[in-house]
Amino acid sequence: MNRGHLAATDETPAAAGEITYLGAIAAALRDALRDDERVFLLGEDIGGFGGAFGVTKGLLEEFGEHRVLDTPISEEGFVGAAIGAAWMGERPVVELQFADFVTTPFDQIVTVAAKTHWRSGQSIPLVIRMPSGGGVRGGPFHAGSPEGWFVGQPGLKVVCPASVEDAYGLTRAAIDDPDPVLVFEHKALYRRLKGPPPPPGHRTPIGRARIVREGADATVVTYGSGVAITIGAVERLGVDVEVVDLRTVWPLDREAVLRSIAKTSRVLVVQEAARSTGAAGLVLSLVAQEAFEHLDAPPALHAPPDTPVPFAPELEDAYMPSVGTTADALERLLAY
Amino acid sequence: MPIEPCIDLGAVGPGERRALYRLVLLQRLFEERALALYRQGRLAGSFYDGRGQEAVAAGAGLALHADDVVCPLNRELATHFAKGVTVAEAFRNFLGRGDSPTRGRDGNMHFGVPARGVFPLVSMLGDLVPVTVGAALAFKRRGEARVALTFIGEGAFSVGDTHEGLNLAGVWQVPAVFVIQRNQFSYSTPVAQQMVNPTIAERLAGGWSIHCETIDGTDAIATYDAVRTAVERARAGHGPQAVEAVTLRIHGHAAHDNGSYVPRQLRDSYADRDPVERLAMRLELDGASEDELAGLRSAVAVEVAAGLAVAEASPGPDPTTIEDGVWAAPVGLFPRKD
Repeated sequence: MNRGHLAATDETPAAAGEITYLGAIAAALRDALRDDERVFLLGEDIGGFGGAFGVTKGLLEEFGEHRVLDTPISEEGFVGAAIGAAWMGERPVVELQFADFVTTPFDQIVTVAAKTHWRSGQSIPLVIRMPSGGGVRGGPFHAGSPEGWFVGQPGLKVVCPASVEDAYGLTRAAIDDPDPVLVFEHKALYRRLKGPPPPPGHRTPIGRARIVREGADATVVTYGSGVAITIGAVERLGVDVEVVDLRTVWPLDREAVLRSIAKTSRVLVVQEAARSTGAAGLVLSLVAQEAFEHLDAPPALHAPPDTPVPFAPELEDAYMPSVGTTADALERLLAY
Repeated sequence: MPIEPCIDLGAVGPGERRALYRLVLLQRLFEERALALYRQGRLAGSFYDGRGQEAVAAGAGLALHADDVVCPLNRELATHFAKGVTVAEAFRNFLGRGDSPTRGRDGNMHFGVPARGVFPLVSMLGDLVPVTVGAALAFKRRGEARVALTFIGEGAFSVGDTHEGLNLAGVWQVPAVFVIQRNQFSYSTPVAQQMVNPTIAERLAGGWSIHCETIDGTDAIATYDAVRTAVERARAGHGPQAVEAVTLRIHGHAAHDNGSYVPRQLRDSYADRDPVERLAMRLELDGASEDELAGLRSAVAVEVAAGLAVAEASPGPDPTTIEDGVWAAPVGLFPRKD
């Protein structure tokens, strides 16, 4: 398998007093390792090498090999082992090198981790961190947004941080959580997104969306990389649009979505996952069932076509939602 | 054909022999009663039993300490009982009662009792090998003298998760014990169609440097002794251990399957090796009186009957509770409960 050679996301370093999205995740892991002896990290090349993207750099030296475990290349094996350790009350945090590789431990996640509490009352406090998303010329196996496979799976929680604050806060909240939590980090945001460091101990509540920007004329429901793109589109158009960052895509914060649509009467869903996967189907089903009477326009969706993520720059750029294409979609919705 | 008694190992004393006898008989009588209920249409779903494999389940179960943990499969009821799961709890699960270990959410052998160190079985073979290794990893990390054990059949030995789990156990040198249930068939598929080299002990030793003793899995005394040795070696820090228990699955894969594909010659070769009768014969040769054996048998029969009565009197599950417990900490409910 072709792994770990994608360094194309490096941008200018964070300014003084700022940290990157990646730095926020690293800080969350470091703080969790310091605060709770039960926390340990496991994954491929996360020790001395610091992980394919460098998220865990320095943690082996700081905490030792009993807290930061390099594993063989066997996602089914070490995700299963993390489940077993969680059963025994540990707080394992797994790193998969790319979210695309979640296909291999899928069975452990869905069969064992997700169903054990409902079947037996045994909680499985497991975290799986996964770099997802495109824009890095990763192609079909290194740029996917597979969160939709887990949206709707009872027993799992699925979060997609879109800000520096939530990169820290959702990681901490996931590690605290007694249920299995899948964290889809966005690899293109790792070094691109910067902000003030969240206060140590900050938690972003799982299951709660965030209103990124208030507005009156339409609602955009989005998450992950869609948040910055949507804000860019709204600013470019200069329109009065509310932007809802789901943060947790499963279980959905239904109330936040419905409250915003009740106010604006128009909704666009923006996501990087292909149009028939991701969180869009669940959001649009909710809108159809619960917000029908509020709508002044058909609910709209802006998402890539139903194909794997293509490699060539011309293809990937055409595939991914951008500020421009999102602005177009928003204009159509507002003009209806 | 005269019954071949269990081996007379001095290391397994009279008390342990009686404890083993109670366990093999408990699984036998429970499963006979449950199969009768199934045939009467009183058990929903499918029915699996471990006839012919009771000695492996009992021997492995008795070898574990109270704070050891285990991931049994669906032919290891005696392992549950050895860990303190009650007959009533098991029958409740078979009957789908509301107070069963799965609250009626799963049936037959698809259950565990985490409070007693028993993980709930999943149907996907091999999944619980890495889970067992992870539990053992937790013990090693914390410096606890505890052991995690699971079972692997020939079918599961063809599954990727099994091999990834065995590899991790070796790399991490954790206190995990793998008991290979060599019952000759994976559903209807014979060993020859599952693997090129059927000597699993050789493969474990050669592939993963995991020491593996091969024993007669119809002999409860031999199985117990071998698994106990493996468990104690793991507990003492010698890394993962394995025992290959060779036996024959006497019934089909499940109650709908009459096992007609099992060659007569193979079946006949096990006619004198019924695990329950072999141990009874050993106890007789040890000098146990007919009265004592009859007393042991009737105590087990009473335990089964009493447990079933309790389970039958248990309430059915309440359909309004079906969404409870999907998450340990539910969030995002609509309308919000908070």
